[in-house]
Amino acid sequence: MGNSVSSGGRNHHEEMVDFGCLTPQGVYTGPKDWNHAIVTQLICERRLAPFYRPLEDYEDTWDEDQILAARKDLPEPENGHSESSSTLRHESSHSSGSKPVHGRRPNMTKDGIRCPEAAVYRGAVECPICFLYYPPNINYSRCCDQAICTECFVQIKRAEPTTTHLISEPAACPYCVQDNFGVVYKSPPWRVGIGSDGTTLPQWPDPGSLNAVDTLRLTHKRRQKSFGYDSPEVVTTDQIRPDWETKLAAVRAAVTRRANRRIIMRQVGDRLIPVGVTSGRVHAISPEEAGQGEGNDNGGSRRSRRQRNQNQDLNQFLGSMGLGGQDLEELMVMEAMRLSLVEHEEQQRREAANRDQNTSNNPDAAPVSGDAAVSPALPLSGTQSISMPEPESGSRTPTPSGPTPAPSAFIQPSTATAQGGPSSALGIEGTVTSNRSLTPVTSSRRRTPSPSNPHLADNLQPPNQSRSWRRRSSSPRPFSTIAAAMSATSTVTAILQGDETSSRRDNPGGTSGSTTTPRATGSSMPAASSSPSTVSSSSPSISSIPSSNSLDAAVKLERPAMSIQTDSYASSIFSTGSTGQRPASPYDVLGSSPDSEFSREPLLGNAELDTPTIPEAGLPEVIPSRTGEAAVE
Amino acid sequence: MASISSRRLQKELKEIKTEGCPVGITLLEAENFDKWLFSIEVMGESQYQGEAYTLMFRFPPMYPIESPAVQFVVDQTHQSPVHPHVYSNGHICASILGTDWSPVLSVVSVCVTLQSMLASCKKKERPPDNDQYVSRAPDNPKKTRFHYDDDTV
Repeated sequence: MGNSVSSGGRNHHEEMVDFGCLTPQGVYTGPKDWNHAIVTQLICERRLAPFYRPLEDYEDTWDEDQILAARKDLPEPENGHSESSSTLRHESSHSSGSKPVHGRRPNMTKDGIRCPEAAVYRGAVECPICFLYYPPNINYSRCCDQAICTECFVQIKRAEPTTTHLISEPAACPYCVQDNFGVVYKSPPWRVGIGSDGTTLPQWPDPGSLNAVDTLRLTHKRRQKSFGYDSPEVVTTDQIRPDWETKLAAVRAAVTRRANRRIIMRQVGDRLIPVGVTSGRVHAISPEEAGQGEGNDNGGSRRSRRQRNQNQDLNQFLGSMGLGGQDLEELMVMEAMRLSLVEHEEQQRREAANRDQNTSNNPDAAPVSGDAAVSPALPLSGTQSISMPEPESGSRTPTPSGPTPAPSAFIQPSTATAQGGPSSALGIEGTVTSNRSLTPVTSSRRRTPSPSNPHLADNLQPPNQSRSWRRRSSSPRPFSTIAAAMSATSTVTAILQGDETSSRRDNPGGTSGSTTTPRATGSSMPAASSSPSTVSSSSPSISSIPSSNSLDAAVKLERPAMSIQTDSYASSIFSTGSTGQRPASPYDVLGSSPDSEFSREPLLGNAELDTPTIPEAGLPEVIPSRTGEAAVE
Repeated sequence: MASISSRRLQKELKEIKTEGCPVGITLLEAENFDKWLFSIEVMGESQYQGEAYTLMFRFPPMYPIESPAVQFVVDQTHQSPVHPHVYSNGHICASILGTDWSPVLSVVSVCVTLQSMLASCKKKERPPDNDQYVSRAPDNPKKTRFHYDDDTV
């Protein structure tokens, strides 16, 4: 989808059909949000009237000069076709070679020789909506046989769904209010330009003859019956905007996501700390990020770029409804939580330090103190001390040092849960860090071809240093508090689905061969592995994700992981979508027709995946979005 | 080039000036293509006999694809008619101004519709939720999503 047609300025003028154009002539200045490719095709197939330059006024008595003079000035020089349009029409007529169509100037000087592009306006019809005049071969409403120009027709669409109005009904006929507005078009008996085979000659009526006008008029006889909206000759408003379903689904999902937003609390001792909100919103991609994305792609796959544009469209759409991006309210909540957590950690650190001094030999104290040291290594606290993860990684989670840390973390939810006493809440983060610290070791399998110690560098980096979100695995994230909490929550749900994940674990590389794709998941998995107990033992009414979502969450966890094989997250996601890896995922992305790439593209699930987030951060988004999609399904 | 809205309004205005408005409807002001004012009076016997109200049209750039914002003028000298579908701030609950708008409708046809809405009124009263609505109503009635519950008036 997109504006490929209108942007093709160079040979734009050769794209003419029966002296009309394939692109609108500027009657409307609003967004051109219909599918241009489809409209173009319909015009070429003579199923929709071409975009003729309208006449401001029309009288049957006018001569050709008057007709041509009444043609509306084109407003937009953006495609450069405004001032030169009429001459170019001649060129195109010539180049189409259907007939020696004469240029206007010589014609106009001779009496009796007609200019075809003026002649098409003989018997012009006024469009009842824009009040402009068009050649008599104009679209007629399928239901009540009223004229409507193509400019107006492409403007008519379903009402945009809103957060308060979550249904979308087909556009009604503006004339008779019948549902499923559609038009039929009867092309003239001759063909010029695209689709002409060069044999049919325009049969022009005698100039100025009233009979001629009548003949043309008679080409549209009043229809006795109306066409059904599914008749093959009818073009409906939905046909030229096939994305209406996507938009509706997006709005519904966004609303559901909002409704399902949960505050995630973590229990630490006897305290509950809010650590995040579940959020599944689509990130608005800033131009900068988009630009970086291009770079990461090696200027590569057109599809991923297309996908991104699509997402931008969608984001714009959602943004225009106050649903897009991150809304302020949410950001404020998250920031408050982050501060709260930082403060809490500070306190913990102090306590731990005290305890350390008191009971340096007590084994229980080890993780805590380790945590205190470790937690700053997380971007969320992103401050002073340097992480010392190795001791914990040895003691707490023996598995991460193995070749497949992620699955093993997966395998042992119960162990982890047992380990993770309420007091070890911060130990979660210690585990995270330890795992992250392993990155260099297993870097061959990591998607980030990172420098030897990215974490150190990251921690030294100012948090607002805008590195690409795409590389967030090694860069501090603005709201990593959320991410950390989220990954914890996601894992809770993942663990709830222990059966499934463990069965999956049996052939971790089954779909992806040698690339151990689950790695990325691994980095977040252990983080969460000790958290289930804390999260779930804390007040469930606040924190627990609805169990119906857990499958989705658990499943979705796998998806980003599987795709992390290339540097470009977006493109790799896309390859996930298009390769045989997908079937490994037990569900499909809202696939109305999963086999069709096209149908899948605009859907929200992919849209979110394509946003340049790393899996850890992607996880939290995943949860509610699935919820949304579930609601849609 | 002018936008579709001014282009069309230009033609509507021309028609109003050449053919005149229907009885009881008078064009008060149309100095630009953003806002027009009409006077509306219900002819014949009705609850509103002898009363004239001022109707304000505001046109979005996408008129007539989008509906105009139509309301009665309420200020020191103007009141809105007391009618079950007209709020005291001048906002009107009429489906043709919202979901049932059609680009085929015109300024004059809206005037006529509202005129007949007044004419068919049996009892002068405000909408039941008048106070509640007026207290938080947006400036532009188009921002309100009315619930059209009465087909009879």
